[in-house]
Amino acid sequence: MSSGPIERRVSYIGDRLKGSRCTICGREYFRVRKYCGTCGRKSFGKIEDIDFFYEKGVLESCTVVRNPTNKFRKLGSYIYGIVSFHDGKVRVPGRLTDRILRSDEDVDPSDFEGREVVPRFRRRYSVGPSEIIPTISLAFTFADEYYPYQKYEIVKPKKEYETPGIVGYGVYVSRFRIKEGTIERSVPFLDEDAITAAVEAGKLALIHSGVDQSLIGKIYVGSESNPYAVNPIASKVAQVLKLGEEERDERVQGIDAVDTEFACKAATSMFKDAAALVYYPKTPTEYAIVIGADNSQAAPRGEPGGELDFFVGFGGSAFIFGMRDVIAELEGWYSCSSDTPDFWRRDLEPYPRHGGRFTGGPAYFKHIVKAGRKLMEKMNLTPGDIDYFICHQPNPVWPMRAAKSLGFKPEQYLPGMQVSKFGNTYSGSSPIGLASVLDIAKPYERIMIVSYGSGAGSDAYSFLVTSQIEEKRSRQRFNVRYQVENRYIEYIDYATYRRFKEGL
Amino acid sequence: MERVSRFMERETPAIIGVGRTKFGERFEEDPEDLIDEAGLMALDSAGIERRDLDACYISDYFLQLTNKIGIEEGFMSQLLEMHIPIEKVRSFSSALFNACHSIEAGKYDLVLVGGVEKMTDRLDKIRDDLMLLEDPWSYYAGCTPESNHELMLREYIKKYGITGDSLERLKVALAYISVKNHRNAVKNVYAHFRREIDLNRVLKARESAHKPLGLYDFAPISDGASAIILASPRVAKEYTDTPIYILGSALSTDYITYPSREDRAGFLATRIAMEKALKMAKVDIKDIHLAELYDQSTVLEMISLEDLGFSRRGRAWLDLAESFRNFDDFEGFYDLDGHILYVNTNGGLKADGNPLGATGGAQVYEVFKQLRGEADGVKVEFDGDLLYGCVQEVEGFGTKVYVHILGRD
Repeated sequence: MSSGPIERRVSYIGDRLKGSRCTICGREYFRVRKYCGTCGRKSFGKIEDIDFFYEKGVLESCTVVRNPTNKFRKLGSYIYGIVSFHDGKVRVPGRLTDRILRSDEDVDPSDFEGREVVPRFRRRYSVGPSEIIPTISLAFTFADEYYPYQKYEIVKPKKEYETPGIVGYGVYVSRFRIKEGTIERSVPFLDEDAITAAVEAGKLALIHSGVDQSLIGKIYVGSESNPYAVNPIASKVAQVLKLGEEERDERVQGIDAVDTEFACKAATSMFKDAAALVYYPKTPTEYAIVIGADNSQAAPRGEPGGELDFFVGFGGSAFIFGMRDVIAELEGWYSCSSDTPDFWRRDLEPYPRHGGRFTGGPAYFKHIVKAGRKLMEKMNLTPGDIDYFICHQPNPVWPMRAAKSLGFKPEQYLPGMQVSKFGNTYSGSSPIGLASVLDIAKPYERIMIVSYGSGAGSDAYSFLVTSQIEEKRSRQRFNVRYQVENRYIEYIDYATYRRFKEGL
Repeated sequence: MERVSRFMERETPAIIGVGRTKFGERFEEDPEDLIDEAGLMALDSAGIERRDLDACYISDYFLQLTNKIGIEEGFMSQLLEMHIPIEKVRSFSSALFNACHSIEAGKYDLVLVGGVEKMTDRLDKIRDDLMLLEDPWSYYAGCTPESNHELMLREYIKKYGITGDSLERLKVALAYISVKNHRNAVKNVYAHFRREIDLNRVLKARESAHKPLGLYDFAPISDGASAIILASPRVAKEYTDTPIYILGSALSTDYITYPSREDRAGFLATRIAMEKALKMAKVDIKDIHLAELYDQSTVLEMISLEDLGFSRRGRAWLDLAESFRNFDDFEGFYDLDGHILYVNTNGGLKADGNPLGATGGAQVYEVFKQLRGEADGVKVEFDGDLLYGCVQEVEGFGTKVYVHILGRD
């Protein structure tokens, strides 16, 4: 069964965990209602919308599922139970996710019960390859483990800037990693994909920025691993995160949502568009969000394209652009492209192909060095004027070579190097590098980022950090370093990694 | 005044005949074959012809899904070659409940109440179907048909603070429920499972599954059919000297989503239905010594004892532990603070089988036979006369609960 209308209605409620509250007696419900059972007829028109998306719940009671129903079979064993919100005003069913349970592992529910949990937006269950991908946020993780509970608080902006720039950002990589040699790579849990990563990154950027979600007028999601060939990620993210002005009755969001694709530069390409859009004076768009998320697939090792399997990571990043409370002004850019087919995936093919040595010199290095040089030239900058340099990170070696050939020193390019921690996160790769630098940058430092997308092209940007970067930092616990050094990271073996990549 | 009260006298429906098939894997039969078998047996047992029937209520939980049979009434009409009113509902107790209404209203004199289910025809998808119908949102979150029973057990032991040795005793008591029901079913020629199991088997199944409840704690997936002939009291005595009356008949409902219910350590709907049924029957619960409970799991047999009022709340586990103290000497009934109660003498859902739409019919069949002293399996024996029996049937996970109280002259 795959019913578009049913899927629409279930995910509309379930992705955001929408509910209702009676403003007369305070009673709350999961799912949207028009009246309250206690107050009856007089509560018509007095019911307000609530949701539990940013809330913290408590796992009240649980059991272990060893023999799931067919659609959950790929999850193997998992903990299932009852989660309460708001001191038991509302109770919902829930599954614990991001947890590997061995089939012979005894589970004592009292180890889990009473603990705080955070709802996570995930795939709901397995469906056939031609069906709509069902999602839900009735998946939970413990608030005291890898993914912390963080409040989303809208903060009134203090300062208007003349130059548009980044006002907030978020990075999401999963709890699971595979470690081979000196390289660690992030691996999605079975119920994660590029869509869920995009939502997570966007959610974290909202939390960090304190921007009112309803003021975001445009969302770009760049990915080369959208699980759909046709159907945008951006509209899903906009709905789940309630971006743009909500038109409640029609259940639409007042936002322009669009997906972009250009291998690993699908997101960075839109930085300038987002900045230009919020700068446009006639029709004000307060904020625009650019998300890069990928769960790129690679053929098994030894097969054509299998060389990519050594480096693919999983994750996403999101940057909100605006003119208020900017933390890094966008000073300038330069982009170049050429028809250089160094990496591609034909429609209906599961795995991309890779041009071997051709992806190096004539592709990666040529475009990155060109874009970097040209931007410095245009802006009259030398490497000495730039505090941090980040470029696309398909492996640990190339970005260093590219940085060196542009004249940068290790202290300039090493802080932004994250490939050996997360692997190549494709559209999220250089943006995650940028985020890791923003996590540590001081006011008035200059950051240069050069992305690379196969096919091929590069976007170079120069950002100037503002004084507001420091005060916003405290709003984001789940920063890049937190995701690198977290003690709840779970390392998995190669077979598990391939299974997780395959997904539900 | 007298006129009014005469009109208000209730037409107490009476069962004059019963029938059922063997429960289990009935791969060779279509649903119509099964209901035909059970129906003919009921007609024979009542000593009537199909042409005597005024109406028919049949039940199946989801033949629409398992067998893609849409208008069951048409199949029945064709089978009977009759054009009487036929209505299809979801459970046998629901059919009985509605049939009772029609007789109480004085509309019909002879009604066939039947139930059928064909679960093995869709064995590969049946747990998804069951769970999705039980509660879609729980299904979406990963719930299985077994999980809710385990959650209810968790809620129960937490609510009553049962830990340590007590908890171990509770778990063993639950296991003995299964052992008892299997033992009862050995003598039931229609049962799905007619073999004894020992305590160790139940415990081992839990252990090897690394689960609080194991294979032997749950009722199986079964096929089967059951049927009874319900008569108005006016005509009942024309056919039998020993009609069994439906003295109490009650239904209560509850929210589809189990987690959203206030009290999750039992079924509110059972409590309400039993209270109403007792009131309607004007029967004291102490006079009920036989109950066919809806033991979809061992947990449900335990908790239903409380919800129905046979055990005090939070005490059923202790009553059971005491009753099973020396299982070798177990006499077949529970001793609930001195109140003798036989439960699931046919083997219950656990061993007799659980073909959803037909299950309630097997429960009624058992109580009917016991009340008439015609039971050929486990016999209810105690110091006194067996006058009443109680049947509890559940749709979903406590979403609808029917209680019927049966009695004889």
